Amino acid sequence: MGHRTLDFLFSPVDPPKPSAERKNPLAKDSTFDSDAVTALQDEFGEHIADVTLYANEHTVYVDRESIVDLCTFLKDRFGYVYLSDLGGIDRFTEEQRFEVLYSLIAMERGKRIRLKVRLDEEDPVVPSIYGVYPAAGWNERECWDMFGIRFDGHPDLRRMFMPEDFEHFPLRKEFPSLGIPGSLPLPSQTDDGEIVKDPFPAAHGSKPLRRTPFPE
Amino acid sequence: MEARTDHNEVFSFWPKHNERLFARLESKHLHVEPSTDPLEAEMSLNLGPQHPATHGVLRCALKLDGENIKTCVVDIGYLHRGIEKLAENKTYQEFMPYTDRMDYLAPYSNNVAFCLAVEKLAGIEVPLRAQYIRTLMSELSRISSHLLWMGTMVMDSGALSVFLWTFKHREVLYSIFDEVAGARFTVSHSRIGGVAGDLSQRAVDLIEDFLPKFSEELDEWMPFLNRNRIWVDRIQGVGVITKEEALAIGMTGPNLRASGVKFDIRRFEPYLVYDRLEFDIPTREDGDSLARYLVRQEEMKQSVRIARQCLDALATLEGPIRVDNAKQGYASKDEVYYSMEGMIHDFVMTDTGVCPPKGAEVYHAIEAPKGELGFFLISDGTGSPWRVRINSPMN
Repeated sequence: MGHRTLDFLFSPVDPPKPSAERKNPLAKDSTFDSDAVTALQDEFGEHIADVTLYANEHTVYVDRESIVDLCTFLKDRFGYVYLSDLGGIDRFTEEQRFEVLYSLIAMERGKRIRLKVRLDEEDPVVPSIYGVYPAAGWNERECWDMFGIRFDGHPDLRRMFMPEDFEHFPLRKEFPSLGIPGSLPLPSQTDDGEIVKDPFPAAHGSKPLRRTPFPE
Repeated sequence: MEARTDHNEVFSFWPKHNERLFARLESKHLHVEPSTDPLEAEMSLNLGPQHPATHGVLRCALKLDGENIKTCVVDIGYLHRGIEKLAENKTYQEFMPYTDRMDYLAPYSNNVAFCLAVEKLAGIEVPLRAQYIRTLMSELSRISSHLLWMGTMVMDSGALSVFLWTFKHREVLYSIFDEVAGARFTVSHSRIGGVAGDLSQRAVDLIEDFLPKFSEELDEWMPFLNRNRIWVDRIQGVGVITKEEALAIGMTGPNLRASGVKFDIRRFEPYLVYDRLEFDIPTREDGDSLARYLVRQEEMKQSVRIARQCLDALATLEGPIRVDNAKQGYASKDEVYYSMEGMIHDFVMTDTGVCPPKGAEVYHAIEAPKGELGFFLISDGTGSPWRVRINSPMN
């Protein structure tokens, strides 16, 4: 009797196979919008690299040149008036390293769709969709702050959380979790006005400085 | 007044940052225009980052014309903790307690939101009783969050007693959370695949006791506030946001519903057991502060209604509170303490936890008290997420 091939549904190494995907108990049927995906494929055929489906959620991979047109199309034709989320993804070691994620909602029709734009590491620039969805303003700033992805045509692309003087992009995979010593200039920490440039000295192996001297 | 540099020009604090901030404000630095009449003078001021009026760490660079604010540039990030970065170095279950700290007014909702997203990613089905417990506690945390909002808002406009009334009830809610989860504030009660523990009889009694009392007292407050001319005059017509504006700027939650958009994730894509429950989505058309206040007030009543139905359902519903599959959730403590396999499963869950398929990505959102709280997760096939994108209602 030969060994039957064990069919692990969720093994750590295999990519998900559409046929092997069992019915996801939390997948929503109502927000699944295949009409819009079909219409997008008809309209922007060569600009759509791929369409994936997992847990009843479509992800449409779009060329960066046509993202603004595609958002306008979805907004005008399918009622996607609301931008729910926009964020960056670092696919470190992959061919096209960065991804920008757009999550849209059609309020009246009760549908969701997710768009993604893939970018090369050398040229992480994507057109801003601020003109279509003003809600993207802060999200694009956050994405620039955290990943260094620039948004062409954004009216005010300042960093969102980190100061402008900070030179690194924290959510990139190569950025260490403990931070980089000296990357954030801070006010003086000693009584004679000496500037200490390490915000987390204990994390990097040294004891924190005592601000007040021991009593005599 | 000259632009001030810190530390006698020895050290300028984040010079590029301030330069861009004031460039955005179309002002070079903080200044007051010399003029005889201070109400006519133009000035640029700095508010915060630490200021008693900001309720948190928020810095605003303001351009004033007399008493009117002409431009305001907001500088946030003083509370940025890099929680998305932290998540990449934790297992799924390890990261769950961190979600408490994202919105400490409704920690239970955050736990539930994250666990639901992981369950969707890995295809885990949660037992019905656990879903009811999650729904019940999420609604209680919604009441808690809205109560704090109401108390502080009325207090800021001058009525201190409402703040004390609301905090009386929040104290009871904290006792309930303490009894259910073992912690008053950062509950961390949800587990991937269920919840940590069942409701004790005392917890049920506390909730049974709380709901009618709170409902009654809420009805008593309303005439005080809704017919109070000082209160209504201060918030009516203030900060009007139209429906179109609200959609364009991506407002969410009660604020969006106060602008006339009937959008609530509990009805838009029902999660947990919301499709089995009866409740209404209150909306107002005005879009001003009064509408936002009334929507939240009505939402608290609806939350009581939902909690009531959950309690009734839980009274007759027997069953497990965690998924009975050692690859998907923690084994029950009975198994862990009394069997070798249970012990091993517990170790494996703590060490590695659930491993969703490689390349899988999902987005799952819930209606947190402040609006849509969504988690976008990407799995790389290991026990830790490759990327956790948090779509928080606060920004």
